[in-house]
Amino acid sequence: MRAIIFSWEYPPRVVGQLSGYISAMSTQLAQNKVEVNIVTYDDSATGQTTEPSGVKTFRVANPVRNHIGVLTWVLTLNQEIERAAADIYYESNKQVDLIDVHDWHFIPAAVTLKNGLGIPFIFSVESLEDQRSPNANASYNMAIKSIEWLGFYEAKRISVKSEWMKDEVNRIYKVPKEKITVISTDPSVWIEEILKLYGSMAEAEE
Amino acid sequence: MKDKLTVMMLSWEYPPRVIGGISPHIYFLSKHLAKQGVKVYVVTCDFPGAPAHEVIDDVEIYRIDSYKNPSPDFATWVYLMNMNMQRETAALTRKIADKIDVFHAHDWLVANAGIGLKHVFRKPLLVTMHSTELGRRDGLHSATEKMIHETEAWLTYEAWKVICCSDYMISHVKYAYGLPSDKLVMVPNGVNIYNYYVNGDFREFRSKFALPEEKIVLFVGRLVYEKGIHVLINAVPKILSKVNAKFIIVGSGYMKEQLLNIVRSMGLEHKVLFEGFMDEPTLLKLQQVADVSVVPSLFEPFGIVALEAMAARSPVVASDTGGLSEIIEHDVTGVKVYPNNPDSLAWGISKVLLDANYARYIKENAYRRVQEKYDWEKIAKQTKSIYEGVLGEYHKSFWAKAT
Repeated sequence: MRAIIFSWEYPPRVVGQLSGYISAMSTQLAQNKVEVNIVTYDDSATGQTTEPSGVKTFRVANPVRNHIGVLTWVLTLNQEIERAAADIYYESNKQVDLIDVHDWHFIPAAVTLKNGLGIPFIFSVESLEDQRSPNANASYNMAIKSIEWLGFYEAKRISVKSEWMKDEVNRIYKVPKEKITVISTDPSVWIEEILKLYGSMAEAEE
Repeated sequence: MKDKLTVMMLSWEYPPRVIGGISPHIYFLSKHLAKQGVKVYVVTCDFPGAPAHEVIDDVEIYRIDSYKNPSPDFATWVYLMNMNMQRETAALTRKIADKIDVFHAHDWLVANAGIGLKHVFRKPLLVTMHSTELGRRDGLHSATEKMIHETEAWLTYEAWKVICCSDYMISHVKYAYGLPSDKLVMVPNGVNIYNYYVNGDFREFRSKFALPEEKIVLFVGRLVYEKGIHVLINAVPKILSKVNAKFIIVGSGYMKEQLLNIVRSMGLEHKVLFEGFMDEPTLLKLQQVADVSVVPSLFEPFGIVALEAMAARSPVVASDTGGLSEIIEHDVTGVKVYPNNPDSLAWGISKVLLDANYARYIKENAYRRVQEKYDWEKIAKQTKSIYEGVLGEYHKSFWAKAT
């Protein structure tokens, strides 16, 4: 199985806890015969590496340096994320089973790749704009919410880390609960649950 | 290789959505490419009342959801709109039976979509740069302007070829983004001469604007600094000292009040008429009765308004700057004057008004030049051959083999 993981943080870039989570997850996935390709952002250390675990990383920088906000910064960076993923797709003979997108930042790239190349994606939710900025309805917050909504609409599956978050996604975005998988935080079972989720994506494609 | 070349045009405007010059440009270019046997798809922003899909002159038009939530500002909206444009265009490209050969993006307004689609489908991207942020703002003064400039640079970097509408724009774009010369191609803008063929007796129409003994001097353009309208106003007394004339100003803009005050202080309100925005049929008639059309611009990437006057068989006096320098051949297809120089402008206008034979000579030459050089059929043929050249190079690349 070949998976591409989108995350805006991956070691050595650490913004919050997502970075460490994805590092641990991808190492374990590699041990379980998943070819993992991490596509992430780094301002200067761009390019491709292969880690001892076998995980491949692709770091891209923002093609536009001057920005007026997080939204424009994210939206130009998405093109480079999209380019890196398309390159993986063509260089692996068009055999990519899924994209796993963590949080809203790279939803636009995943949506284009799904519509253009037929690669299904999982929207893995760490947190939501409505929780980060409660009751904020400025056009800036609404734009981020609209990108989250697009992600829920276009994703084949949604993964969350708790029953509470499952209810939140259902409450805020009216996503059917059948579309949402809760991944346990119990270290003895979590990777099996992720493998099962990834496996269901590949099966559904056939 | 399949027999029919297929192009996907990306543009933020297409009729009935008309904001600037890109909309008519895409309309005529696509229509005439289709006549040359090119299959053209146009993806553009939606517009109230316009269908999501229609076929116009054998061109497939698709209007996408242009992102209608409130946006923090115009530039952020552009990037959000591009997100939607990419999504819908990607789905369309995958769905349609025709295989897209080339993506053709127009200006930074569709940069993200063009660049994204290029990499997702591994097809060549062509770009037409109609204008630049550097030229529009005369420098880069804010984060927004720098961001847009960088987006333009990125778009031209990703493009296989960059098309500009004048030699002036070629050198400007080359300097602005540091592009190699062999990446740039000049294809002029076009004008549809049949639009300007108006016949009839316009004496009564003319009498609404001027007395029979008054010559008509026509200015068409936005009343903004870069269009040089203030230079014309300053030339008015100098012209009136030699020839009796009426000055008709069509268009509006932030300089209107200021210009009105200058005219009032000169005591020439009866000689200078500010008509504001004018509908096209009226403007066409006005161009027929005008004795001279004046284009006194200080900055002009192309100068379509000069071409339109030439197509309407109105003699043209224009500043020797930007694209105008190339459109007008002095003493042959018009009169060129020094930019930002009322004396020079007054000299040029008086010369045309006082010598009827000269005026006839330059306007007939100008009309022929428009037919020869700025004809959409020729422009479409040139554009098609650029597509073919790019595809020839593309088919030797590893991208062609990998897809």
